[in-house]
Amino acid sequence: MTDTTIEYDLNGRIRTETVAPHSMLVDHLRDQCDLKGAKIGCSRGVCGACTVLIDGKPVASCSIFTFQIDGTAVLTIEGLGVDGKPDPVQQAFIDSAAFQCGYCTAGMILLTKALLAHNPAPDRPEIIDWLSSNVCRCTGYAQIIAAVEDAAQRLRTPA
Amino acid sequence: MSAPLKIVGANLPRKDAVEKVSGRALYAVDIDRPGMLHAKVLRSSRAHALITRLDVSKALMAPGVRAVLTHADIPKHFMPVYGYFIKDQPIVAVDRVRYVGDIICAVAADTEAEAAAALALVEVDYAELPVVASVEAALADTAPELFPTAPLAIQPAYGRGASGAMRPRKNVCYQFNYTTGDHAVFASADHVFEDTFRFSRMHHFHLEPFVTVADARADRIEVWASNQNPFPLRKELARIFKVSESSVTVHVHHLGAGFGSKNNCKTEPVAVMLSILARRPVRFCLTMEECALTNTQHAAVLKLKTAVMKDGTFVARQSEIWLDSGAYSDASPLVAEKAGYRIPGPYRWKHIDTKCLAVMTNTAPAGPFRGFGGTQASWASESQIDMIARRLGLDPYDIRIKNVVSLGEAFVPGESGMDSDLKVGLDIVCEHIGYREPRQLKRGKGIAIGFKDGGGIKKAAQARVRVLTNGDAILNFSGVEMGQGLRSAMVQVVAEILNLPLGRVTAPAINTDHSPFCEGTNASSGIAVSGRAVAEAAAKAKRLVLDFAASQLKCDVGELDLDNGVVVQGTGPNAQRRPLGPMVMGFYGGPGFEFTADGFYMPAVDHNAPLESPCVFWEMGWGAAEVEVDTETGQVKVLKLVASGDSGRSINPLVVKGQEDGAAIMGYGQAMFERMIYTDAGELLNIDPLMYRVPLAEDVPPEFVTITQEQGHGPGPFGAKGGGEATILPIASAIANAVEDAIGVRITELPITPERVLAALDAKRAAQGQS
Repeated sequence: MTDTTIEYDLNGRIRTETVAPHSMLVDHLRDQCDLKGAKIGCSRGVCGACTVLIDGKPVASCSIFTFQIDGTAVLTIEGLGVDGKPDPVQQAFIDSAAFQCGYCTAGMILLTKALLAHNPAPDRPEIIDWLSSNVCRCTGYAQIIAAVEDAAQRLRTPA
Repeated sequence: MSAPLKIVGANLPRKDAVEKVSGRALYAVDIDRPGMLHAKVLRSSRAHALITRLDVSKALMAPGVRAVLTHADIPKHFMPVYGYFIKDQPIVAVDRVRYVGDIICAVAADTEAEAAAALALVEVDYAELPVVASVEAALADTAPELFPTAPLAIQPAYGRGASGAMRPRKNVCYQFNYTTGDHAVFASADHVFEDTFRFSRMHHFHLEPFVTVADARADRIEVWASNQNPFPLRKELARIFKVSESSVTVHVHHLGAGFGSKNNCKTEPVAVMLSILARRPVRFCLTMEECALTNTQHAAVLKLKTAVMKDGTFVARQSEIWLDSGAYSDASPLVAEKAGYRIPGPYRWKHIDTKCLAVMTNTAPAGPFRGFGGTQASWASESQIDMIARRLGLDPYDIRIKNVVSLGEAFVPGESGMDSDLKVGLDIVCEHIGYREPRQLKRGKGIAIGFKDGGGIKKAAQARVRVLTNGDAILNFSGVEMGQGLRSAMVQVVAEILNLPLGRVTAPAINTDHSPFCEGTNASSGIAVSGRAVAEAAAKAKRLVLDFAASQLKCDVGELDLDNGVVVQGTGPNAQRRPLGPMVMGFYGGPGFEFTADGFYMPAVDHNAPLESPCVFWEMGWGAAEVEVDTETGQVKVLKLVASGDSGRSINPLVVKGQEDGAAIMGYGQAMFERMIYTDAGELLNIDPLMYRVPLAEDVPPEFVTITQEQGHGPGPFGAKGGGEATILPIASAIANAVEDAIGVRITELPITPERVLAALDAKRAAQGQS
């Protein structure tokens, strides 16, 4: 296999790069793009600390090759709140204290973005179903669930 | 401090909130240094074996490799082993391996992939030794000796009634004993009950792995570590690598959690040694599987012999606990001490006699885990108390209330008094679970009280508060932020005392060259130990500022106060307000000045206290559960889980609630499904994160309630106590107690799996058939 040239949208900017065939997206983001928000937890697609959105869908970036993102739009945590104001989902996580160590937080926030884009008014079972794709070892989830509900409310009634 | 509190007690956004939700928070995994190499280690595939040949010559020649570390590469004057009280863990294997995952050798290369490829070229021959993978196997007469030579060890000191012994018998690295009262009281009791409980081991499963970046030379060591105890780490690295402590710098930023595991040395010695060999910075970051092989909770067997009167009055408790310490001692002596000390629970006894053995096995080393021996102790103690109540035909609530220590009463002679009203907490969880309501078929309710001495033993902490020219403040202290919100809470304390908004106080990251000393962030000690040093420093700094202002204004200091960086003279509408900045610059000149004050706290040493220092505060957790049991499948469904702690006073209530939620759900995982499964051959079956199950959002019981009590008796600032461990303690026993309430069978081994429930039901049917 040989290196591949790919073109993709990263947080709203088009990038053209040549990547090795074995490059995993999370390593590419952290080491080549210097975006450290996606964290490596399990490297198995189990914990979700490395979650990013690819064309709006949550993906464990530890479990996808970089060349696979050719032609897609990738959103990482660094792509939120870029106008100097936290995104409503970020603000909801702040207000609900929906994080402790913070290691899973980027993934949880991006998961919430995807959920609320899919359904702006999810009920609690749907929220729990979505959040169950990621692990938080600190919070016991109650405050994260509260943050998602709060974020949905904020997005439905813009300030 | 009679004025109403403005900042303490408010649900203000944490100081680290914006950086954590924006992905900017810095962790040790994010550290990058110029010229940094990457380390990987070769781990033993054998549970117990002599290394008869180790050939790294091909690895040395592999692409990208800059250094290879075997035991032979460690200079003779270094200390090639480490450990808290017992120096038994080698940096890399000396002549043998003691568990699957033991480190044999290490490589530093330009990339992780090159390091891993080089390790595949290392040749190892083993001569297998007999394996002991459980405490029973390790204590058997025929068991092999895991440490033929006694490692260097330091014995902890004790006060009245307590004692410890190193290597009291084969494969026991440490034994803790505690006795009070007269053994003869056993003869006077109406009943004596003997029960045995088993406790499975969990993996901490902190999402940020063990990781270190080290930049070291022969005379200078700098590390960026994911470590709860930067100062003890500095001391241990200086000891190992024979440099002055002042030549070791430890940086600690955010920890991606720890739950106890990130104590002492983990990845640090390999990273430092490789950096010395390669003369380059080295990053050593583990995978999650490697983390499971590096530090775990202690599995345990707990045997209790408890004497009671027929009215339920407790008389005496004798206990023997075997903790599975794994292959190296790590914090096992301390965990043994705490499990043994806490096994009586917060009750009145005429006699206590406890033995706790830390047993070495050919499994991953066990160490500190949230609850620190208290989880094991509470599981057995609170299960047996329920069993005794049911055997005597008494209500489990009533038997507890009859025997719990009162507010202010010591549970053993020489201890500090209980600083929570235990009945208040039990009543709260009983009310939330509907304890007095009639039971539905195959449903049951259980309660439990978790108990541990919090704040550590003789822990010392310092802090420094600097008030800048314009009144802003910087807090320097070394409590590690691992998610619990300590650093933010301490900023709230300083802001409250200096009467500043939260935005004007910062607490920069820890660097042992500049940050004040702290023994470590563990034992829920942050608020009650570091917190007292911080509060003292803030109060002193405020006094310095006001003394200065009084000298400038030629008035009595009692007329002055601070308000948002303004010196206020007098009260009411006639109060004079003068910004601090101009006053300071008027005296010290344009660049200004900093008012710097230090605080210090260390609990008193008292040889009358069994652990040589009366407990700083009691960390109490109350739990209640309602379960429904399917007697066909054995499935236990927790319908409702209630947990409560006593924060004394919450500095930030939402953050405290987060601790109570998280600890309770960790306890729930332990109760229901979490466990590391070892075979008799010492093989860990569920090492893969796919196979090791932790609670997900969907696992949380449909009704999950935590209630924070603020009883106000804590020793910390504004009456606060630590609380990060309280609610893990009572959960497993509350659920097991609910199972017995539901279907009349007792589960004595964790986790409470359907197989165990069915087996217990079968045993009950068989017993009924016989009678």
